[in-house]
Amino acid sequence: MKHYALLVVVFLSALSLAQNKTIAIGEKLVYAASYNMSGLLTDIAQVKMETSEVKTSKSSLMRLKCTATTYKDWDGFFKIRDLYESYVNPKTLTPFLYKRDISEGGYYKFMQYKYNHKAKLVNSLKRKKRKDGTTWDEKKSVKIKPATKDLVSTLYYIRNLDIHKASPGDQQNFTVLFDNEEHIITLKYIGKETISTKLGRKECYKLAIVAIKGSDLLKGKNDNLLWLTADANKIPVYAKFKIPVGNGELKIQSASGLRN
Amino acid sequence: MIKKLFIILGFIAAILAVILAVTPLSNLAIAPIIVAFISGLVILLVSKKEKTKTKTIQYIFLMVIIALFLTIYKGIYATSEIGNTEQLEQRDEENLEDSKEILEDIEFDEDL
Repeated sequence: MKHYALLVVVFLSALSLAQNKTIAIGEKLVYAASYNMSGLLTDIAQVKMETSEVKTSKSSLMRLKCTATTYKDWDGFFKIRDLYESYVNPKTLTPFLYKRDISEGGYYKFMQYKYNHKAKLVNSLKRKKRKDGTTWDEKKSVKIKPATKDLVSTLYYIRNLDIHKASPGDQQNFTVLFDNEEHIITLKYIGKETISTKLGRKECYKLAIVAIKGSDLLKGKNDNLLWLTADANKIPVYAKFKIPVGNGELKIQSASGLRN
Repeated sequence: MIKKLFIILGFIAAILAVILAVTPLSNLAIAPIIVAFISGLVILLVSKKEKTKTKTIQYIFLMVIIALFLTIYKGIYATSEIGNTEQLEQRDEENLEDSKEILEDIEFDEDL
């Protein structure tokens, strides 16, 4: 009997851990992305992260939408109009549908993942454009691990973690499905740091992406950093990244519709 | 010899500065502007020593002024405005409608 009681307690605490206490429907975060060119940081694009409610006849889901748009000056040079979205359970942030619709300087790609959590499968659909404007589809069924998420829902999921319980140096792995492949991302909690942002001076949790297994997208050990405000909203206010073609940063411009 | 070297260097840097200043990469024009300006000064000093007149200095300085003016102008008036997002909004709408249809078929589990 005692064992059962213990099991129930463990199960309930696991459930409560997975509950969404951070992200509200109607939240809107706006960022300015800048790229470092020979020592000078140049603002090149606006990144928006929005949440909204989507109702179907059976249920109500949360839509997590991220868009990237280059500034006017850059449109003639390299026009980016990217759309990433993930439809998740508003209570647990488990994704059910993911879409990536990107248009970068004439290059177009569409990716769609339909999750089947019971069968641990993802039905993926890839759509690309030929030179003459016609498109072609590629369908695939990918086996996933129980905790595998897409890029967008992972980002929101990280915000929902109990970072205040972590101590500096703690690490956690996340499995992210990208381009039909599972990548393991290792995130490390470095410590608290107070930085000044457009939202004022904020005490933040400083996190580092230490490794991505099976990908060489990010460079350097401690060069990919993320600052989340050390409050109940855990807003990502600042991010630094290093990629093979240079480095850049993401700074918050405005935040509205916050939960807490 | 030194004069010739600096004339070539100054010219290349000045042309590069003007080209960069015209593009959205105007921030990058600062480095060649400095190089062209220093080269111009060196040519001026050497010419004074040799008591010869060099026309290239004028061209180099003229290009430096144009590039500098453009860079400063862009630096002050550069707007962080986003361009036309009509197409993106349309794709956004289409995706949302399409997603709704797909989600109708998906088995949604409250506990997951």
